[in-house]
Amino acid sequence: MRNRDVSFWLFLTPVLLGLGLVVIVPLIYGTYYSFTDWNGLKATEFVGFEHYIRLFQDTAFLNAIWFTVKFSFVTVIALNALGLGLAILVTRKLKTSNFLRTIFFMPNMIGGLILGFIWQFIFINVFSDIGEALGIEALQGWLSTTGTGFWGLVILTCWQMAGYIMIIYIAYLQNIPSELIEAAKIDGANSFQRFKSITFPLVAPAFTVSLFLTLSNSFKIYDQNLSLTNGGPYESTQMVAMEIVKTAFSANEMAYGQAKAVVFFIIVAAIALTQVYYNKKREVDL
Amino acid sequence: MKGKKFYVKAISALALSGILLAGCGSSDEGSSNDTAAGDKVTIDIFQNKVEFKTQFEELVAQYEEENPDVKINVKTVGGGTDYAPVLKSTFSSGEEINIFNVTGPQDVIDYKEYLTDLSGTKAAEAALDGTLATVLDGEKILGLPVNQEGYGLVYNKAIFEKAGIDPSTILTHEDLENAVKTLDSKKDELGIEAVFALPGKEAWVLGDHLANAFLADEFNHSVVESFNADTVKFEKGDEMQRFLDLMNKYSVQPVLSLDYSQQVEEYFSLERVAMIQQGNWVYPSVEQMDEEVAQNIGILPIPVEGYEGSIPVGVSSYWAVNSSADEAEVQASKDFLDWMYTSDTGKEAVLTSFKFIPAYEGYDTDKISDPLSQDVYRYASEGKTIGWIFAGYPSNPWGTGVAGPNMQQYIDGKMTWDEVEADSIKQWEEKRK
Repeated sequence: MRNRDVSFWLFLTPVLLGLGLVVIVPLIYGTYYSFTDWNGLKATEFVGFEHYIRLFQDTAFLNAIWFTVKFSFVTVIALNALGLGLAILVTRKLKTSNFLRTIFFMPNMIGGLILGFIWQFIFINVFSDIGEALGIEALQGWLSTTGTGFWGLVILTCWQMAGYIMIIYIAYLQNIPSELIEAAKIDGANSFQRFKSITFPLVAPAFTVSLFLTLSNSFKIYDQNLSLTNGGPYESTQMVAMEIVKTAFSANEMAYGQAKAVVFFIIVAAIALTQVYYNKKREVDL
Repeated sequence: MKGKKFYVKAISALALSGILLAGCGSSDEGSSNDTAAGDKVTIDIFQNKVEFKTQFEELVAQYEEENPDVKINVKTVGGGTDYAPVLKSTFSSGEEINIFNVTGPQDVIDYKEYLTDLSGTKAAEAALDGTLATVLDGEKILGLPVNQEGYGLVYNKAIFEKAGIDPSTILTHEDLENAVKTLDSKKDELGIEAVFALPGKEAWVLGDHLANAFLADEFNHSVVESFNADTVKFEKGDEMQRFLDLMNKYSVQPVLSLDYSQQVEEYFSLERVAMIQQGNWVYPSVEQMDEEVAQNIGILPIPVEGYEGSIPVGVSSYWAVNSSADEAEVQASKDFLDWMYTSDTGKEAVLTSFKFIPAYEGYDTDKISDPLSQDVYRYASEGKTIGWIFAGYPSNPWGTGVAGPNMQQYIDGKMTWDEVEADSIKQWEEKRK
């Protein structure tokens, strides 16, 4: 294995350069700016940890984090359950399974902003019309309260991402050798036992990937949040990404927003890495 | 053999990174060519009004025709909140812009080192009294007003007529309340769902505009004063509450998920409500939805005690000229702005194609084409105006980030009005410490 010679690095150069210019350099710059009084145009003073101390007393930021954590918790569970469910459904020998795969994946092809506006219409107009017609109080006034805003976001995100997660599970489900399943059948395992003892452990790598994707994605959601609720009512459905954007660009506190972003980065990185580490340990090889 | 293989690999890798670098570099080359073009002056305009982009570019083309040695590039990024960050990043990336927009005292401070003194220009001399307050720095005039805007209660004249209400008699809160009650009692007859459509989702409608109408008095209608004020007192807080309550009570529900486009397009333009709190900028949207309705609307004042029959009128955006560019470009930029606001061709375009309410003297105001702008201009020329002070709110941002959300909580019953005031005052003071 002679894979660390000059040409190895030369071939990597474009990617490393790209990654460096758009990820690493901004990260370093950003971290540096978070310790200054940078206003987007110039930084005149080094303020040390002032922003970091302040953000832990900032109720808007803490509320946004709490809301995001709740949101992520619910979406990660719902998304993976849905994704796996759909994957199992379309890997059965159904006539329509290819068609269904396309349909389930479709929402993922629509941009988050547009989806947000489409669902806004559904939640506000369609829901209330149905509610009125059937006399269901619970379907009226969606997105005008914190609770309905929260569930609106969860539904939107699940609807959009479930198809994508489904594809990942399908890939792993199809890799399960049919001999194993057959052998288990002959041994008299019922379908639940087969799922629990064979399918589930063998798709564990898919869990690692899907959990990582859903977790980091639901933490970083911005466009769906912007177009569906825009943080309303009264900024109670505002997620961290949006709070950071507002701090930086509408409150005009670039350095402070940058500090929040650094903290946010650390939180997401820590959670995602821990999750990957633990999931990796549980994976089984064939 | 081995050596040859290595070179092939090396060259292809270098070629790939070369492509990547070329992609990054190309824009630099483009701009340096422009400035090196010799006697031809190139001006880059970066502006924030999406709604008049096409008309503005037409006028620019006309100017280029008349002045063949000037080339003008227009870039438009719109919608209030988006413009500021893009402008900022353009400046910090070192790209040269000649003309850009500043929107309030904070911008003037942030960009001070880039702002050219425009006090010698014809346009600055023609600017109406009071329109320059935001951009004055001692003797210097650092910006030119784009246009005037005004807001109040935009109402549907046909519905008022049908209900037998004379809009000119509505001055005080009691008048308004009576009219609203009349309209509400005749809802079925008039074919409306509710009297108002209050867009509770839009914090700017509440925190910026609604609050401004009642707070302007305590800052003597001066944006500079509100920008420098250490505190806000809510002297007219009770009136503000009363007015918000009235709109909320007689509005389409639930207000907290009602947004601007629903308010203007779905409810007002389709004649499902009689009144909305908005300004002359809604005219193009209404016109697009229903031209007939658009011709038959007007602006009623928001009832503020002591200012009956007055509406808030102000300038929300200014043209600024970047002083860091070379002298020829600065001069060409000034010439263009002068031409736009003081030449006959320019004036004509400002009135009839931009549909602006001019902030300058010497305009044939009969040509103001839409009924809302006519109303605003009438209020302005009669001096019946309330100050436009929300550009001077603290930048937390107080209007859309504090007062607006607090009012939303009040509407939702999560806060009492006293708490709304107390918290808004507290956060104003914290920001101005």
